[in-house]
Amino acid sequence: MKRQLPLMLVFLLGAFMIIQYFVPAQASLDAYEFILDWMIIIGIFAMALGIWSLMRVSWHKIKRRSHDWQYAALTLAGLFIMVLFGFEPIGGGLKSYLWLQFYEFVMVPVLATIFSLLAFFMASAAYRAFRARSLLAAVLLGSAMVLMFRVLPLGPLSDPINELAGWILVVPNLAAKRAILIGVGLGMVATSLKVILGIERSYLGRD
Amino acid sequence: MRKLALICVVMVLAFLPPPLLGEVDSALLQDSVTVDLPEPPAPPGNVTATDNPNDNGRAIRVTWELSADDTTGMKNVIGYRINRAEARDAADSLWTEASDILPSGTTEFIHSGDGEEDGPDYFAKNYDFYYRVHALTADTFSVSAVVGPVQAKDNWYNTGVTFVLLFVALFIILTVTFVRIARKGKELYIRPLAGIEAVDEAIGRATEMGKPTLYILGLGSAADIATIASFAILSRVAKKVAEYQTPLLVPCYEPFVMTVAQDTVRAAYMDAGRPDDYDEDSVYFVTSSQFAYVAGVMGTMIREKPATNFYLGMFHAESLLLAETGAMIGSIQIAGTDQIAQLPFFVVACDYTLIGEELYAASVYLSREPVLLGTIKAQDWAKAVVVGTILAGLLARLLVDLDFIKTVFEVSV
Amino acid sequence: MATGNGNRKSPSNAVKIILVIVAVVFLISWISKATTGMADSTWLNIRDGFLITFAAFLTLSIFSFLYNDNPFYKFAEHLYVGVSAAYWMCLGFWSIIVGNFVPHASKTLSTFFKVPFQEYSWFYYVAFAFGVILLMRLLPKAGWIARWPLAVIIGTTAGFNLSRYLHSDFMSQVGNTFQPLFVDWQGAGHFFSNLSLAADGQLVMSAGNWIVVVGVLCGLVYFFFSKEHKGMFGAASRLGIWILMITFGASFGYTVMGRISLLVGRITFLFDDWLSIL
Repeated sequence: MKRQLPLMLVFLLGAFMIIQYFVPAQASLDAYEFILDWMIIIGIFAMALGIWSLMRVSWHKIKRRSHDWQYAALTLAGLFIMVLFGFEPIGGGLKSYLWLQFYEFVMVPVLATIFSLLAFFMASAAYRAFRARSLLAAVLLGSAMVLMFRVLPLGPLSDPINELAGWILVVPNLAAKRAILIGVGLGMVATSLKVILGIERSYLGRD
Repeated sequence: MRKLALICVVMVLAFLPPPLLGEVDSALLQDSVTVDLPEPPAPPGNVTATDNPNDNGRAIRVTWELSADDTTGMKNVIGYRINRAEARDAADSLWTEASDILPSGTTEFIHSGDGEEDGPDYFAKNYDFYYRVHALTADTFSVSAVVGPVQAKDNWYNTGVTFVLLFVALFIILTVTFVRIARKGKELYIRPLAGIEAVDEAIGRATEMGKPTLYILGLGSAADIATIASFAILSRVAKKVAEYQTPLLVPCYEPFVMTVAQDTVRAAYMDAGRPDDYDEDSVYFVTSSQFAYVAGVMGTMIREKPATNFYLGMFHAESLLLAETGAMIGSIQIAGTDQIAQLPFFVVACDYTLIGEELYAASVYLSREPVLLGTIKAQDWAKAVVVGTILAGLLARLLVDLDFIKTVFEVSV
Repeated sequence: MATGNGNRKSPSNAVKIILVIVAVVFLISWISKATTGMADSTWLNIRDGFLITFAAFLTLSIFSFLYNDNPFYKFAEHLYVGVSAAYWMCLGFWSIIVGNFVPHASKTLSTFFKVPFQEYSWFYYVAFAFGVILLMRLLPKAGWIARWPLAVIIGTTAGFNLSRYLHSDFMSQVGNTFQPLFVDWQGAGHFFSNLSLAADGQLVMSAGNWIVVVGVLCGLVYFFFSKEHKGMFGAASRLGIWILMITFGASFGYTVMGRISLLVGRITFLFDDWLSIL
């Protein structure tokens, strides 16, 4: 019962959505939109569980005075302050000054900086590929070089490199992406089918 | 000079209010501004109006034959305009414009709207409408015969996607067939997959080093297929981890994914016969902000120094940030995603990478359950059908210029 | 080992000194920003000076990860995690509960949250109920009931994905592979003209189409799981993996410039917005 009912729900809703795709009638579109709204609303309750987990883990660290527990306290402080700012009666909500400042001067700089770390990580990853000394790594690196050098002023070499780069993007790139996409499409269909038929049910846990 | 004066007079006259205009010598007016009425173009012929197929009953498809003066004859038709009314013999004022001016040469128009009753684009369904088509020249027009009544109706089957339906059916049949064969106990071969063969060794290494195993489910939602595939792998990995009694860390980006992962891991510990070893805090939520999540996981990695990292699921720009951090601390890394743009980074920074479909197949490899092996076999047969179709299609095109096979795959929606 | 443990309990003198130096540097920066500010009042200058200095501090803290883990990185990381978790939760609450559920659920609540009421719909209550059921996970005995909403979401999207991906990822990709293998044959002279890779000469176009078709087929062969990759099959599979690697390299190289421009953006922030020396 504990697993049967969810499996039945999965099957019924899954089958409904497959059929829905083939039915263009208004009732079908309405049902589809309703279900999308459902998923969004259910999802926000999951967010509450997530925040609960974050608070729980942080609190355990603080309570046990485990290593670096002070930082867990900082996380909680950040969380509570931001929630207060975002709660209209107290902090003024999503358009309030404090909320926007926290967004602009805490979230944005950190976000942009972490993203920009990628520039360094790409360099070290390229070096890693260089050291791998395998034929496939060399192929990968060679094609990466062509694409990287296309923007450099290399005099007479510029034109052929640009042509080659453009060709790689249009020809082999297209072939590989298409092969992957066909495989992915089939794999998705197979996995969806396994889920709907209840063959794949590890996500449901145990009784 | 006289011309200029005449133009001036006409312009002044044009600006005078009508009563004054009446007093002007009518002879003058007739000489200078009236031209012969232009001859209207031939009207559009053979107008039809039918329910637009494959939709939600908010559109009518109108077709017509070009006016004889469009591109032929007087060649002066500049476009067409569609009118709609609720009665065949409605007065001109009751005909509403259903379209803007459509360029000459057009022979089809789909008049559509929506179901919002008070909105500007409301289109009543199951209601009689009449249509007519105007052929326009620069200064006059002609009107076609009125057609109708016609009703926009809900369609209960989209004929444009019949081939998708056929493929869905084919795929279901293949899957069910091979699952049955597998159930009967027939041995099904699957080729080795390096990333999967390394799982045992990688977890074993974590055990030897006394370090945790880190499992990242990516940024996908619990409903993304890559994430569902990853749950299945997590379940097998967690079971092994439980058997080896090494710690497991599963930081999550999506709260829903976290709840599913908690259930999955708890069940795996129960399967391994060690339910008491499961630590509720081992599968935890970090944040739903992409780069904050990355910052948190990178911090965890550099502090806990996991011996083995799994990155399986849907990844975006964070793939390289995570994988490079893992490579720097010397972890064994097994990655897999269906995001083509992120695969290069995993390939470069990880020891093993499952590419696209391999990710979906991985759980089958780990479980070796015959039923699941059957689904893999079905996938392969579908691929064989694709390879065969591509070859046949190209051959047909090369030899007899036959495009039928190509059109099968060009589904209209 | 002993010193390592000692470090964990209380920071060593060196760490303390670094902390103090960093604090002083940023304090000076704040003061200088506040005194050179362009805003109308002193208070505004002090405030804006603090904000920009703090943003610069966080930026440098994150960059310090490149050296190793350290207290500054930990500070920025933990603060960001807490703040961003709250950010998305609040955003979710206002846009989904208030923006999506309330207008269909209750007039009183709509008035309270100042959103226009739309129309009652029991469907939304069902969704809400499923959401509440999800929260039952927190109760030890009733946790299993939380699988229902999970089943709703997974079942729905599995069905959704099945037909749609079959169409978009599978069928349309197969359909696009039917390229003409000889682009409008107009005689050998024309065929061998214009041989540059960038130009659309006939030979280049036809060869490209051949490579795409062969590449797709070999790539598909690589993804065959239930057949041993030996002989012809193995050769095709190896060619497939080669083409995959060329593509991965191209994708890698293609992304580099974008990432460098992100870094340039951060450096501009530090040197221009914060230090004003650019």
